[in-house]
Amino acid sequence: MEHRVAVTGIGVISIYGDSPSMLFAALCDGHTGIHPVGSMPRNDCACHLSGQLTDFQPEKYLKGRPLRPLDRVSQLASSACGLALENSGWDAEDRSSVDLALMVGTMFAGMHTIGDFDRTAIVSGPASVSPMAFANTVISAAAGQTAIWHNMRGANSTLAMGSISGIAAVGHAADSIRRGTSEAALAGGVDEFSIESFCGFDRAGLLCKNSTEPERPIPFDQHRNGFALGEGAGFLALEELAYAGERGSTVLAEIKGYATAFDYSQGKDRELAVRTLARTMQAALERSGKTIHDIDFVSASANGSVPRDCYELMALASVFAERARDLPVTAIKCGIGEALAASGPLQLAVAIDILKTGRLPGIIGLAELPPSCPLQGIQAETRDIRARNGLINGVGLDGNCCSLVIGLPD
Amino acid sequence: MVTSIGTGKDVFWRNLLAGCCGISRVEAFSTEQFPVHCGAEVKDFAADAYLHRLQTREVGRASQLAIAAARLALQDAAISIAEMDLEQVGIAVGTTSGEPGQIESVDDLYVEERFGQISPSFIEMYPCSVLAAHIAAELELGGEVLTIPTACAAGNYAIAHASDVLRAGRAKIMLAGGADSFSRITYAGFSRLGAISPELCRPFDRGRKGMIPGEGSAMLVLERLSDARRRGARVYAEIAGYGLSCDAHHMTAAHPQGEGAARAMEIALRASGTLPEDVDYISAHGTGTPTNDRLETIAIKRVFNDHAYRVPISSIKSMLGHSMGAASAIEATACVLAITDGYVPGTINLENQDPECDLDFVPNQARHHKVDIAMNNAYAFGGNNSSIVFKRCEA
Repeated sequence: MEHRVAVTGIGVISIYGDSPSMLFAALCDGHTGIHPVGSMPRNDCACHLSGQLTDFQPEKYLKGRPLRPLDRVSQLASSACGLALENSGWDAEDRSSVDLALMVGTMFAGMHTIGDFDRTAIVSGPASVSPMAFANTVISAAAGQTAIWHNMRGANSTLAMGSISGIAAVGHAADSIRRGTSEAALAGGVDEFSIESFCGFDRAGLLCKNSTEPERPIPFDQHRNGFALGEGAGFLALEELAYAGERGSTVLAEIKGYATAFDYSQGKDRELAVRTLARTMQAALERSGKTIHDIDFVSASANGSVPRDCYELMALASVFAERARDLPVTAIKCGIGEALAASGPLQLAVAIDILKTGRLPGIIGLAELPPSCPLQGIQAETRDIRARNGLINGVGLDGNCCSLVIGLPD
Repeated sequence: MVTSIGTGKDVFWRNLLAGCCGISRVEAFSTEQFPVHCGAEVKDFAADAYLHRLQTREVGRASQLAIAAARLALQDAAISIAEMDLEQVGIAVGTTSGEPGQIESVDDLYVEERFGQISPSFIEMYPCSVLAAHIAAELELGGEVLTIPTACAAGNYAIAHASDVLRAGRAKIMLAGGADSFSRITYAGFSRLGAISPELCRPFDRGRKGMIPGEGSAMLVLERLSDARRRGARVYAEIAGYGLSCDAHHMTAAHPQGEGAARAMEIALRASGTLPEDVDYISAHGTGTPTNDRLETIAIKRVFNDHAYRVPISSIKSMLGHSMGAASAIEATACVLAITDGYVPGTINLENQDPECDLDFVPNQARHHKVDIAMNNAYAFGGNNSSIVFKRCEA
């Protein structure tokens, strides 16, 4: 028998603040979080915008023990996980009796920590590196540090699927609950803004750039010219639905199904890219027992990328067919930037508020859809919709795609 | 598989049973500034022989090793890519470091104040998710493509997750395993911890002085048993169950009573419906560090009681060094080959067994021994523990 999967808690660290309601309110009100990039060792990057966090204070969330062993990525993950645990009522006593599983999605993990460690070894010799820093150079460090901080003794996994890692981690953890492998898990994603990722993406020509037109990291906009690099962390507490009932947890939403697939052309073959994304959405719908008519809104992965936003538009048009024209679509990266593995969990946090309030945040800054865009439900204005089920998309930079259906419990 | 003692399953197994040692002086970088100089590198690896669709310069070394292992695994499974429904084929690859060579190049530029010259391909070649993505791009696969970077237990984690994907019906075939390339970052870290042996690797020996960093890749082809039978495949073994746990104790030190390790073994036994006394072989994590080997012995005794003294246990890291995320995938291969071949590999360099490690570690010589059920153990930074139970599949 398949179990059902309830979301019973959310924890977010985002450019808009540390609660889903702050994130949701800012998006609904049309405030963008994207701002001029802070001080960088080099200023010859073409992009000058980012969604870098401006006031993350880990000591607000991680109290009573020294923070020094945790690098910033681990602090982001541990903070968001702590908020999710608190929100779901998993107190320390519960955690000593149940082996909570943890699944962390991440694209770059502690790349900056790893680079720093290596540079210290180059400059000052390998004997001068810190053993404490070495522990943070393993890609799974954030998961390990979080488990230690919150005493989570269940399966401790890290999932790397590029920028869709976070939403895929939620899907994967939900699936293990559905199949009875675990009763409860924390799943989500984390990535940090670093000079390595910012300059790397900039050199690859993927960030919004100020060439002939102003930088426009606006999802689906006709004049978009790349994404703004963001950062953050988002984690969801997941429980088997009946178990959540026994525990007296508040059920915020139900994860109904998900799917991932890979475009082996890695975005180079437009037709294959669109077909793969369409197939992913269809598989997620099938596994959820839903049709296109059950989906009340889509939270798109679109981030301002010139080719990928277009692929997503075409795939949505093909999957939603006659429903595509009026399908309500939102794209939160207009406000938070491309937060990589944190993006998907933050999209889920927003989706839960859409389900709760029936309000769909508009796409901030959207001025003009591409000509002949078949989806007229992509709008700049926040509006009220009927919201019982939503489809959440993740479109990776590397060909990986993920779709997940979240809704009110059936 | 691609290992420091040979490429391809047959060469690997022959050399493993013969007790060959893959440890030599490090060639990947200068060890002049290090107090130690040994590593277990894959020498003479020719990536071009395995990369047909991707270019060698487009992918890092760990991806190259993984692609080679994936091609060899499909060949061994007698699967023709042309005949597969490629949307139903997925991948799960475990790794510790992904493509460390890419960030090392960036660091070299950084310290030379040439950071602006970062290669435009760095950001696409570095994230560890490229290991699975590159295999999929090379083989044109369209299923679930996962990289599981759970450090030194990653191969086991990848096999466990891949078995879940198959059981949930989300793929017909999963390629699962691990890959890591030799890395100066890893070497510097373990050297700083004082964990690297200055000479050989001697798990469970009184004179053991540490582990030896290594590299390699092993990939296994997993299918649902009914599908494998239908296509007349040679079935090596069945993945009967797995156990994963976290110590939640310390990033680099294992729990002092082996609590999490024992719990992972117990969960794996329970999940696979296996009694402890029915296990015929244990492939140990057996890194050769003083602490690991002692705690692993304690954990095995906690789970297996008297049977702990009867079951043969070996550490093939004595021969291969510690190939990081690839290690437990290589060890998983050794487990299934032990089941099909009726031999268990030895633990070499075991001359004076540590009285605190007083179990049957199959000293120095491979042994003829019937194995119906094998357990593969692997542990990692972050207190991650993993055990997989493999069982013989009667025809």
